[in-house]
Amino acid sequence: MAQILKSDAELKKDRLRFTKNKLSANLILLAIAANALYFVSIYGSDVGSYYYSLFIGASIVYNLVFMLTAFLSSEGVKSYKLGYAVISIILGILQTARIFYIPMKAFKAENPVVGAETPTVMGEGQFRYVTACLGISAVLLACAGFVGIAKTTALNKYQSELDGLKGTEREGTDK
Amino acid sequence: MSDLRLQHLEKIYDNKVQAVYDFNLDVGHGELIVLVGPSGCGKSTTLRMVAGLEDITRGKLIIDGRDVTQMPPKDRDIAMVFQNYALYGHMTVYENMAFSLMLRKENKNEIHQKVLAAAEILDLTSQLNKKPGQLSGGQRQRVAMGRAIVRKPKVFLFDEPLSNLDAKLRSATRREILLLHKRLNATMLYVTHDQTEALTLADRIVCMSMGHVQQIGTPLELYDHPANLFVAGFIGLPPMNLFEVEIRYAQAVSPDFEIDLSYEEYNVLKEYEGKTLVMGVRPENVVQGGELVVNVVSNENLGQNTLVNGFVGKHKITCKFRDWFKYKYGDRVNVSFKKRHFFDKETTNAIRI
Repeated sequence: MAQILKSDAELKKDRLRFTKNKLSANLILLAIAANALYFVSIYGSDVGSYYYSLFIGASIVYNLVFMLTAFLSSEGVKSYKLGYAVISIILGILQTARIFYIPMKAFKAENPVVGAETPTVMGEGQFRYVTACLGISAVLLACAGFVGIAKTTALNKYQSELDGLKGTEREGTDK
Repeated sequence: MSDLRLQHLEKIYDNKVQAVYDFNLDVGHGELIVLVGPSGCGKSTTLRMVAGLEDITRGKLIIDGRDVTQMPPKDRDIAMVFQNYALYGHMTVYENMAFSLMLRKENKNEIHQKVLAAAEILDLTSQLNKKPGQLSGGQRQRVAMGRAIVRKPKVFLFDEPLSNLDAKLRSATRREILLLHKRLNATMLYVTHDQTEALTLADRIVCMSMGHVQQIGTPLELYDHPANLFVAGFIGLPPMNLFEVEIRYAQAVSPDFEIDLSYEEYNVLKEYEGKTLVMGVRPENVVQGGELVVNVVSNENLGQNTLVNGFVGKHKITCKFRDWFKYKYGDRVNVSFKKRHFFDKETTNAIRI
């Protein structure tokens, strides 16, 4: 290290060069876990053949794609890759949108099972639970993304400052 | 005050095998002590007892005035560097070096500063983001040393740290350890079976055999004044030439030669008149010219020196001559002995001239 780091803020920035963005990565892993809780609840419901449609097939495929993409984002943001932080935010938005798709529809649809406990396909309790799961997942993904962007930007800025410093030192030596 | 004190340390394993006998040593602050000896002599066991990795059967271990005999390793304020580096393969160099401090829950900024400082000392700054698998053996060993340095322990322990390196790297890393020792002025205990390492690194050497300390002294003391036959044979490369001789009328007599003793030698050895002693001569103290005849068997050129192996009568002898010679099998070379050591054949102890 050519320069001497003095303030805590400087040290904090310098630390970014050697430490991974574990906070964002772990937030995304938690978001995946929350999503898992969501789909386990949906697929575990006994509401006749209500969910046996093309949409539920697409939902399963989406879950797989979501988990894979989220995991890749987790690894990406860990290494301060800006693109993956953006993907994480997009995934968060999609998780929010999902609330208005299957859960909302099922909550509003009449239960086809005769004598069922709840009048709608998705009872109010379950609706609250899955909405919370998706909501938490969305918030975690968004937070991970924003933290990732902030840290990555700070690191890139700091790195270019260091590169500039090195360049100045080299010029000085050349002269 | 000494940083490290080993008092009557003994190790007896559960199977009743005694690995270390009555080990006593006072290590001063900033001293680099090398424990040297052949495999199985108890040097690593002693080091592991200091580290707390082996229980101490008897005796006391005092670090910086505190009796740590019964303390667990983590409370002893020591750091150990292992032969196989013992790095975490999934962590970067930075993380490996910072790990012990993170476990202690130290301030992250302080950890960062300590790691950077250690990395700069060890010339590892550009490698901090790499994983151990991407580094050479020498660099890995430096990371292991860095991990020890960041903790600023009272005592550094090195367990054959250079054994996994090739000859060239070993010599370079040896110099780095020496520089590191000078820079940190740290108390170090270093185990090796390589006498070159011992001679070049140590402030003092502890030579061990079969669990017993044979001699403690500076490298020069061990080389010039070995305490017994074991030390004489172990320290020095090639090893000392040993001949059985009888002291007879101011001469050292063997079936193959008769050597006139000097006044100083005879003054001491006259009480052994008629007895058989062991005479030792270092290969570099065998010089060309004289009455003894060496029948050459082999000639090894080492650049600046030539090693000549042969026989004086029935005695094997190795001579280390300066300059480049090309003796052939069967050549006869006249030699004499410049400096001689004498040992009691029964006790194997040196007879001080």
